[in-house]
Amino acid sequence: MVQGVNTITGATSALDLDAQLMLRVREGDDDSFRLLLEKHRSPVIRFVYRMVQDQAISEELAQEVFLRVYRSRGTYEPTARFTTWLFRIATHLALNWLRDVRNERGQQRLDDEGDGEMPVREVADRRPTVEQRMVAQTRLQEVRDAIAMLPDKQRAAVLMHKYEEMEYAQISQVLECSESAVKSLLFRAYETLRARLAHMSARGLG
Amino acid sequence: MNWMDCPLQREETADLLLDYSARRLDAARAVLLERHMENCLECSKFRAEQAVVWDALDRWEPMPVSTDFNRRLWQRIDAAANAPWYRSLADSLRFANWKPVFPLAAAILAIAGGFLLDHPGKEVADPAESVQGVSVTQADQLEQTLDDIQMLRQLDTANAPSGGSSKM
Repeated sequence: MVQGVNTITGATSALDLDAQLMLRVREGDDDSFRLLLEKHRSPVIRFVYRMVQDQAISEELAQEVFLRVYRSRGTYEPTARFTTWLFRIATHLALNWLRDVRNERGQQRLDDEGDGEMPVREVADRRPTVEQRMVAQTRLQEVRDAIAMLPDKQRAAVLMHKYEEMEYAQISQVLECSESAVKSLLFRAYETLRARLAHMSARGLG
Repeated sequence: MNWMDCPLQREETADLLLDYSARRLDAARAVLLERHMENCLECSKFRAEQAVVWDALDRWEPMPVSTDFNRRLWQRIDAAANAPWYRSLADSLRFANWKPVFPLAAAILAIAGGFLLDHPGKEVADPAESVQGVSVTQADQLEQTLDDIQMLRQLDTANAPSGGSSKM
């Protein structure tokens, strides 16, 4: 596990600190906002990036997340974990973006790919790869495609569970649904992924 | 929980296998689950397949964050602070979720429609048709009135001599 450790694993102990920092931001302390930005910037960008699978869009959306946090500073109340609030904003923005892109692409594209699948961005993140890395890149692309083909909420749940190491309770707060609904989302999502990625067991992951 | 039962057979315990695969199950329960999986083909298969997924997902590293991310963010914050109110409103609506607005708009339209049906306004008649209709009516009334006047005059004429003589 490489990602997300800083944000959520320490969330319980850092809850008060994040909330206190945000309360200071509310009082006009921009340095506290800078601290929050430094601490949570990467997890938010990572999460949004894996949701939309486009680096430029993910950074734009992540900026919108922090812009909204900053704009909301005047009315901030620490009623929930700071990270829950942060990821709720990030999730809403990512889901809305995915929905808008789907609407733009029209029904024909949806018919081709099936319900709940995200638009596959062909250009933005594909960098030229050297020959010896092509196999690994291909397999990585299979993973990305498998995630991309999950319905939006399942994808968000998996990304928060797997990469951000969130507990069911926090995911349920972010997605604004019950814990049992989250477990059901995750179970179905992993079931789909097990079927789609099963072949990687036989040939290895490179 | 009775570990003789297979976690996959019960909805409320199925997530234990996910927790185990995510290495989030506490040691005591992990030992019990491992003991169960030694004899449960289904759970054992689940563990193996989930491990493949887990390893595959671990390979997906995100792209590095742009070095000027913070600078661009602060530029946006400053621009937003100096922007006129309508610009701020437009920006805040840019990523808004409009989905809940549609039922509200439909409800408002339905209420407005119902109100208009219950309170219909005066019909606006075609002016030409209206003038023509009034003229016909007035002509009938005029004709009737003239007939009445003529009849009364005839009565007056007929009664006038006898009435005068009686007075005299």
